[in-house]
Amino acid sequence: MFLDLTEEQKLIQETARNFARSELEPLAAKLDREGDRPAFLANLKKLAELGFMGLNVQGEYGGSEAGVVAFSVAMTEIARACASTAVTVSVNNMVCEVIQTIGSQEQKEKYIPLICSGAYAAGSFALTETGAGSDPAGMTTTAVLDGDSWVLNGSKIFITSAPYAGVFVVWAVTDREAPKGKGISCFLVEQGTPGLVIGKQEEKTGQHASATNELVFDNCRIPKDALMGKLNDGFRIAVAELGGGRIGIGSLALGVGLAAMDYATRYSTERVQFGQKISSFQAIQWKIADSYTELEAARLLLMSAAFRKESGRPFAKEASMAKLFATEAANRACYNAVQMLGGYGYTADFPVERYARDVRITSIYEGTSEIQRVIIAREILKNFS
Amino acid sequence: MKALLIGEYRQGKLLDTTYELKAFADRLGADSVMLLVGSDAELPKCDSKVYLADAAKYGEYNPDLHKQLVLQAVEKENPDCIVFVHSSYGWDLAPRVAVALKAGQVSEIVALNEGAYEVNACNAKLRRTVTPKSGRCVLTIQAGAFSPTGEPQGAPQLERLDLSGTASAIEFVGYEAAEQKGVDLSKAEIIVSAGRGVGKKDNVPVIAALASALGGELGASRPVVDAGWVDHSHQVGTTGQTVSPKLYVACGISGAIQHLAGMKKADFIVAINKDKDAPIGEIADVLVVADVMQFVPAFTAKCAR
Amino acid sequence: MKILVCIKQVPDMESRFRPNGDKTWYDESDLAFRMNEYDEYAVEQAVQLKEQLGGEPEITVLSIGPERTVEAIKKALAMGGDRAVHIRDDRYYQKDPWQIASMIASYAKGESFDLIFTGMQSQDRGSAQVGVIVAELLGLSCATTLVGFSYDGGTVTVKRELEGGIKGVAKLKLPALVTCQLGLNTPRYPTLPNIMKAKKKEIAALTPAELSGEAELTATAAIYPPAKKGGGLVLEGEIGAQVDRLMGILKEKTAVLR
Repeated sequence: MFLDLTEEQKLIQETARNFARSELEPLAAKLDREGDRPAFLANLKKLAELGFMGLNVQGEYGGSEAGVVAFSVAMTEIARACASTAVTVSVNNMVCEVIQTIGSQEQKEKYIPLICSGAYAAGSFALTETGAGSDPAGMTTTAVLDGDSWVLNGSKIFITSAPYAGVFVVWAVTDREAPKGKGISCFLVEQGTPGLVIGKQEEKTGQHASATNELVFDNCRIPKDALMGKLNDGFRIAVAELGGGRIGIGSLALGVGLAAMDYATRYSTERVQFGQKISSFQAIQWKIADSYTELEAARLLLMSAAFRKESGRPFAKEASMAKLFATEAANRACYNAVQMLGGYGYTADFPVERYARDVRITSIYEGTSEIQRVIIAREILKNFS
Repeated sequence: MKALLIGEYRQGKLLDTTYELKAFADRLGADSVMLLVGSDAELPKCDSKVYLADAAKYGEYNPDLHKQLVLQAVEKENPDCIVFVHSSYGWDLAPRVAVALKAGQVSEIVALNEGAYEVNACNAKLRRTVTPKSGRCVLTIQAGAFSPTGEPQGAPQLERLDLSGTASAIEFVGYEAAEQKGVDLSKAEIIVSAGRGVGKKDNVPVIAALASALGGELGASRPVVDAGWVDHSHQVGTTGQTVSPKLYVACGISGAIQHLAGMKKADFIVAINKDKDAPIGEIADVLVVADVMQFVPAFTAKCAR
Repeated sequence: MKILVCIKQVPDMESRFRPNGDKTWYDESDLAFRMNEYDEYAVEQAVQLKEQLGGEPEITVLSIGPERTVEAIKKALAMGGDRAVHIRDDRYYQKDPWQIASMIASYAKGESFDLIFTGMQSQDRGSAQVGVIVAELLGLSCATTLVGFSYDGGTVTVKRELEGGIKGVAKLKLPALVTCQLGLNTPRYPTLPNIMKAKKKEIAALTPAELSGEAELTATAAIYPPAKKGGGLVLEGEIGAQVDRLMGILKEKTAVLR
């Protein structure tokens, strides 16, 4: 058993940490409060140039071939500084991976390098609909073959990076007669395609710099070869790829939780009440002990899931366990951090209120905690039936 | 014990740090002689022997030639130690002399400890006691660690040094003046900050005057910036800049935690505040309990003198 | 052109340090290590020079230290070094600058490097000696504390940082050794593909015994935390007396007021 990172993984972690500290951290509060999209996109471009958009992607498509463990530690470091940047990086990696897994040779050669190099600021993953959240198979967006093209109609919501994504991976129903989940296919839709309308941007609680929009397909016509993977096989793919995305989001949550606890713990060694540093009070010590213990457990679950995926073993259950535990632990850590700062923790003068807002969504998107439990239980019960 | 002290001379002037060498030798209890590559116009004030080599001939920066001059002085004096200031001149030249003599070098001594030398390690988070194992040793002392007591005086007994040739692998081209920069408090060595205690905008120049008298920058706490008394670029604290100067003077700053987070890494903190119980007192090395507008002008006048 | 860059792996300076068992160095067991900051400037400058010369120079990276040092070496290779030499020495911290420099010089002697870059000092020991000693042992021209570097036809023009922000400009002929200071350049982040590719670059391992048997010229007698800051002093009373006392304290306790 070897529980240490390799030298390469450590160096990737160091590059991510140094970049996050010097480029992302100083901007994070401003991005959260006022926004500065050019600066946000400029940092994404730099991260792309460093190789962070295709960590688990082959070199021939411009990827880094660094693996899933490296992806996880990089996500954590980036999220320590800026969760909005981290979620964009996570989604970009997922988009690259899904194209690499099921795309045709032409699709891989065309789109993956554009995302990995930063020529595209982002790729987008368009699955969720108003009536299809935790139950994505219930989607109603349709794609109908008309001569040499597919015509898409319907709408998607909560689409990360929609205004500046270069390409969207879109799921749509291609066989309305098929049993639920069996008639869905996957398409690549380029930004700017006529009939693809970027709808309103959500006003979210946190992760403000990362745009989240509605997407409307109004007779959106795409070439026939924009179909990715097998016809009517799209849902299985979506489910499989979400597993990888869950490692990303769990790692992101871990980063935010660590940032919050690091800040609050340092604060507790400076803040004096009743004539003592508040860190000398057991009430504070227990928060520190509990949160760091949970975050360390989250880290180990994430490493284990990432290692399984990297080794080519089944990892859906482990990814769900890691995502469930890491995001819930990070939420508790951020809650504790605010509590440790008291009234100051509720003001914008200190970063912990931002951490608390940024972390909240992590137990919702990429599969809610409730859905993770469904998946975990289903996977376990398989072995008992 | 005999020490050969290597004086410093730049841009036609004897540098004041030269006198710290003498203070160090005195602290060591050593007899001292000095070598200076300088000029007759800028001789150190002391009563000991000074070997003088002409900077016009041997350059202000020419470590190859200066090394040979030091070795010549070593030959004549047979000192137990050769002492430099740990400066751009000293750390550049000292190891060259050490190699030529195969002498051990102790760098950037900050204190003496029963015959051994104390130096910092790991950003001054640790201290190390170092003992030379060679008979003769080369030492460099931290600038400011050994301050001279009293004004230097006396007239040195001069002895001139010369080399037979001036061939060197290094050609000194010249000096470039320091750049004038905008306010970057993070690199400032001295910061004098104004807080709400200064009372009104018209009083800010009084604090700025102290900053300039000390050769430092003006800082400010958030209330002062929010009130528009001082530009935001001067703000210290969580929403301003995080600073770590050698000296931080907080004028009329009570010490809100947002401010403390931005300046607590300062090496030495002076707070001037009417309120003896102000939180700033908990991290200040010195708390002057006084009205800022009375104390600061008096202190500025003293500094200017 | 053959370039050598000497690097050291040091602890993250934000760490807490405590003395080791025999009180001669710090306890390494719970520290995270990284490349010495000044050495990053050295690596960056070497890589920039290689780029300036169309990729012709070969950059060798050298480091002395235990097994963990390989991580710093790999970083230098990922930044653009071509090959590396690792002098594997678990007792490196017991060697003084003279012994360390002697090992480097002994290796470099046979390699006839045209230009050697080092950091101006290590962040942990901070002696600022090793580079200069190597230059003296090899008979190279040498300048320290560079904040500016340019190369043209066998001559290096350096800008040295002097006190008070003044800079000194000097020219050196190759072969030369320069030591690098903060402000010289902005070290690049190694890209992820380059980190992965560095895996394939050669890291030759040497042992101290193969290089130099020099005895130490200085020894660490003890290492310990500095005396803690005492509680703050409170000055009350008449303004004139307060001014005088504060002035006295600042002169005594700080290096900035003299």
